[in-house]
Amino acid sequence: MRRLRVVLQLKVFFKSCRTTSRSLSTVTATETSTSVLPPLGTGLSSPLTSPVYVTMSSLGSLVDKPVLSTDKAVQLDPHIFSHPIRRDILHLCVVHHLDSLRQGSANTKTRSEVRGSGRKIRPQKGSGRARLGDAQSPMLRGGGVAFGPKPRDFSTKLPRKVKEMGMRVALSAKLREHNLGVIKSLNWPGVKTGPLAKRISEVGWRKTLFVTGLDEVPEGLRRASSNIEKVEVVTAKDLNVYDAVKWPRVVLDLAAVEWLERKLGKKTVVDSF
Amino acid sequence: MATRAAAKKVHLFNISPAPGSLHHQKRVGRGQGSGYGGTSGRGHNGQKSRSGPGPKPGFEGGQTPITKLIPKRGFYNQNTKEYAAVNLDRLQYWVDQGRLVSTPEQPITARELLLSGCVHDVKDGIKILGDGKEFLRSRIHLVPSRASKSAIGAIERLGGTVYCKYYNPLSLRDCIDGRTDRIAAAPTRRKDIEWYTHWGNRGYISPRAIEKMPFVEERLKELSKEYTNFKSQPFATK
Repeated sequence: MRRLRVVLQLKVFFKSCRTTSRSLSTVTATETSTSVLPPLGTGLSSPLTSPVYVTMSSLGSLVDKPVLSTDKAVQLDPHIFSHPIRRDILHLCVVHHLDSLRQGSANTKTRSEVRGSGRKIRPQKGSGRARLGDAQSPMLRGGGVAFGPKPRDFSTKLPRKVKEMGMRVALSAKLREHNLGVIKSLNWPGVKTGPLAKRISEVGWRKTLFVTGLDEVPEGLRRASSNIEKVEVVTAKDLNVYDAVKWPRVVLDLAAVEWLERKLGKKTVVDSF
Repeated sequence: MATRAAAKKVHLFNISPAPGSLHHQKRVGRGQGSGYGGTSGRGHNGQKSRSGPGPKPGFEGGQTPITKLIPKRGFYNQNTKEYAAVNLDRLQYWVDQGRLVSTPEQPITARELLLSGCVHDVKDGIKILGDGKEFLRSRIHLVPSRASKSAIGAIERLGGTVYCKYYNPLSLRDCIDGRTDRIAAAPTRRKDIEWYTHWGNRGYISPRAIEKMPFVEERLKELSKEYTNFKSQPFATK
């Protein structure tokens, strides 16, 4: 069942917005006044937890100006965005990802693979020197490598639930450091790199990872951003913990928030039917 | 409230594994400081310090190994059946908890006993035994592989029914799975036929059981007649 994303119209009650050009302002539940109470059961894992909020940003369009924090706030599931920080889980996820990237193509020749005959180099007895067999032995110069590297698969397995928790921790860490933003949609109207690069510098969103919840990255944004270094767009499906930690800033669109809350939210018995 | 460590931002360079979670590999032959240099934990000379697999498992250096000292004994009967025993007090406890419910039309079989947790492994079949028969209070209807005489007596005194059915491994598996498309084979071995046509054992193809059981297949009625024919057949006399 599709829950409506709750986007609240905020009155001006957040005391200090750190709207510097380098960071986004986010509002946690502690800063909101009690007059704006969240409706129960919308995007929450448990009725006992209170949600976490982040103000919605906007990249604007080719004509409109960008707004770092609009007058709307997005309600987020605290199980995903306000998870206790577990650095050891992040370590597991990051190491698992980097292991999978290894090419594993280091190779050496053993004494059986080195080119050469099996002839005994000198007689067993009589020469006064050490006994030797063929010329490819690892003791000798030009011989094979003993126990050298061979091409192998360095990838490891990690339980799915550990990866999911890693994603929750990474997103929560980003939100806590005020480096997580939510944008209504990532449908950038243009196709040219210039205007987008200029807009991103204006907003101060260099070194940002944009995450869309759609099946494919919107074509305009993809083409415009593909040549901008320090900006990357990815689908929520392809988001991994390593990228979520590596990129200094992560901006989700509403569809991505929906997707992540569905994938990472607490599974109840009702959901499994 | 937040400690200094907790306040630091999370980066790729400041995440580390949980203390005690990693155990580094033992690398032998890499110098005296490691503790595994030189002879690399193998001591001095001898067969065990050499490369290769060593002596075969169980070899005792030439002394007669213990596996050869003790003589072989006996044989293993492939036809033995090991039944999972269920006593009457355990059955009563399950009935009290509501985990087992039986009617003459839907008796308790191996499937119900396994799914309710009364039995953890059905083995070659269920045998109902009479330990704790003084605790049996309810009327239960069972179709096990076997039942002891005292158990049969106790159950029937309270108005319950017991019919012992022959199960081979396939029909037992079908009973547990609840599969009814296959025919459950009748006994073929003489001893089994004799046992299951005997009313004293409450065998399901004994003539009295065929009369009393609520649902009986036609083929079982025929079988029962065939199996008990011999009792009325005279010997051939000249």
